[in-house]
Amino acid sequence: MNDYTFGIKVLDNAVDGLTKGKNIMLIGPSMSGKEIILYNMMYYGATTNENGIIMVTTREPATHILDWFKEHNLNLPMSRIGIIDCITKTLGSNDVENDNIKITNSPVDLTGIGVKISQFLDEFYMKKNIRKNQLHINSLSTLLMYSNIQTVFRFLHVFTGRIKGAGALGIFVLESGMHDDKDINTLKQLFDGIIEIKSENDRNFIRVIGLSQKPTPWFHYEIEGSNIKMGE
Amino acid sequence: MLETGIPKIDEFLGGGIPDGKSLVYYIQPGVEGEVFGLQTVYTSLKSAKTVVYVASSTCPDNIKGQFAQFGWDIDIFKDRFFLVDAYNSLIRAPSKEKYVVSNPENIEDLSKIIIDAMKELPPSTIVFGSLSTILDLCGEKETIEAIRNWNKYAILHDHTMIYNFTVWPYSQETLDSIKKELFNAVIAVGGIADRVIFGQYYWILRSDWIKESRKSMLKSDWTKESRKSMLFRVSRPGGITLFIPKILITGAFFAGKSTFLHALSTQSVSVDRIGTTIAIERCHVEYKGFSADLFGTSGQERFTPIIKLLSGESMGVFLILDSSNPQDFIHAKEILQITKSYGLPYIVIANKQDLQEALTPEEIRKHLGLGKDIPVIPAVAKDKIGIFEAFEILIDKITGGI
Repeated sequence: MNDYTFGIKVLDNAVDGLTKGKNIMLIGPSMSGKEIILYNMMYYGATTNENGIIMVTTREPATHILDWFKEHNLNLPMSRIGIIDCITKTLGSNDVENDNIKITNSPVDLTGIGVKISQFLDEFYMKKNIRKNQLHINSLSTLLMYSNIQTVFRFLHVFTGRIKGAGALGIFVLESGMHDDKDINTLKQLFDGIIEIKSENDRNFIRVIGLSQKPTPWFHYEIEGSNIKMGE
Repeated sequence: MLETGIPKIDEFLGGGIPDGKSLVYYIQPGVEGEVFGLQTVYTSLKSAKTVVYVASSTCPDNIKGQFAQFGWDIDIFKDRFFLVDAYNSLIRAPSKEKYVVSNPENIEDLSKIIIDAMKELPPSTIVFGSLSTILDLCGEKETIEAIRNWNKYAILHDHTMIYNFTVWPYSQETLDSIKKELFNAVIAVGGIADRVIFGQYYWILRSDWIKESRKSMLKSDWTKESRKSMLFRVSRPGGITLFIPKILITGAFFAGKSTFLHALSTQSVSVDRIGTTIAIERCHVEYKGFSADLFGTSGQERFTPIIKLLSGESMGVFLILDSSNPQDFIHAKEILQITKSYGLPYIVIANKQDLQEALTPEEIRKHLGLGKDIPVIPAVAKDKIGIFEAFEILIDKITGGI
């Protein structure tokens, strides 16, 4: 059995599963369903693989993410879920922290985000004895709106290292078309592989680069509700 | 002199931070270090000082909320507490603060506001919530030059400067400047990491004002690379408490170990207790900025292997004696031998001092052949007499020598 999987069968078959300590960039254009893909990885990781999931959200409040799962009747095993909410305070909301949600000051506060990631990792790994953990950051694009590329690179340099050290899986979302190619290439150095998404003629395609001997073929997919329907 | 309010740090610094000096908390990423600056702010406000807090990674309201999380009411000090808002302009939000940086990405704008505050205000404590964010926004070289300038102004105007700095992988030149050159004192805040960070500690890396004797002691610690660190926990409310992971309470049968443990305890768990402790008891103590987990063992000789096992992992030992029962001192001596073989700091509790036939601490010392360096503390555990004094003395022995 593989340490980690994407939860998308054709991709898992194409790369023959994921070993411990991998850091992967998930890059694609807006409106291509990246978030649904990420939520599916989160759900599949927590339920089927019984992994701990740490999600850093810079785009939507943590409560909205949990609501999405409820609305789609997807029961997350909450003892394995930790969400780091970097947006709630900037919206002026009074949401408070609980066992599943930690709230940071702002997306600028990379120090605070780092502390919360460490706290969830400690809690899952040491206290709950969950040895396989996934860190999802959605998204690096927001962090890059608030901080420059060197700052985000330094942050990722530390935490991709921690992912390797902890034998975890890191998935880092980036919006394509929003950043300089130079910046994207700078960040790519930190990752073991890339899940790439493209949209052509209103059709979405996905492939994986760097995790098998050669890039996987492009697979067509459609988002239906909470499901990812793979096409021909 | 400014007290940081962080347990043990002021003692190690010879009472605190002198006026005009600068100190940096040098914090490993992922470790909860920013509370060091916040706790220093609150302590400073409580001691009637004026405080300036430079908020660069979040808005001033969030900073105020952080103090509230720790149970620190700063509103009562609003006449002496000033926030430099170096954040809201970044997100184009209005600010209610007196000192506002119009462009936080420009070091000259930031520096001007900070120096204005330093000139206008009486000798103050000036705390930078996140120096790393300033480095990130304004550039490493530019910020380092600005720090030199701020620290010079601090000397001229008797301000005390405190910086929280997260050690992201900046250039080696920047890290060396921060660690070795820019500040009068450096306190490293780190994490015990295996696969994840599961414990936090600090140690004083450098201080140029403490007495030579103290300094040489610190220096010798570094040169021998045997850094003695203080483990800490962050509580909400409460702030930083020093943490001793395991203290062993042992002694002969019916010496009063459980009574001692329960008298100290803020929370405790008894295991298999039927009149006497059969296996292990555990309790947690919070006292004067320290927290510790205490483990009590059975006094029966057949449980000596448990004492050996726990001794190997403990940081200190309370040896409890029934002062009125010298026959049991032989078993107590055996336990002492085990403790000594692990080189652990220990103190002897001369319990049941209220009994008529109780030996005095000095008589007990003679019976056990203890040197003057081993404290023998008179106590009546059932009445909580002598127990907290004993706790403080053992903590001092455990944390001593840093």
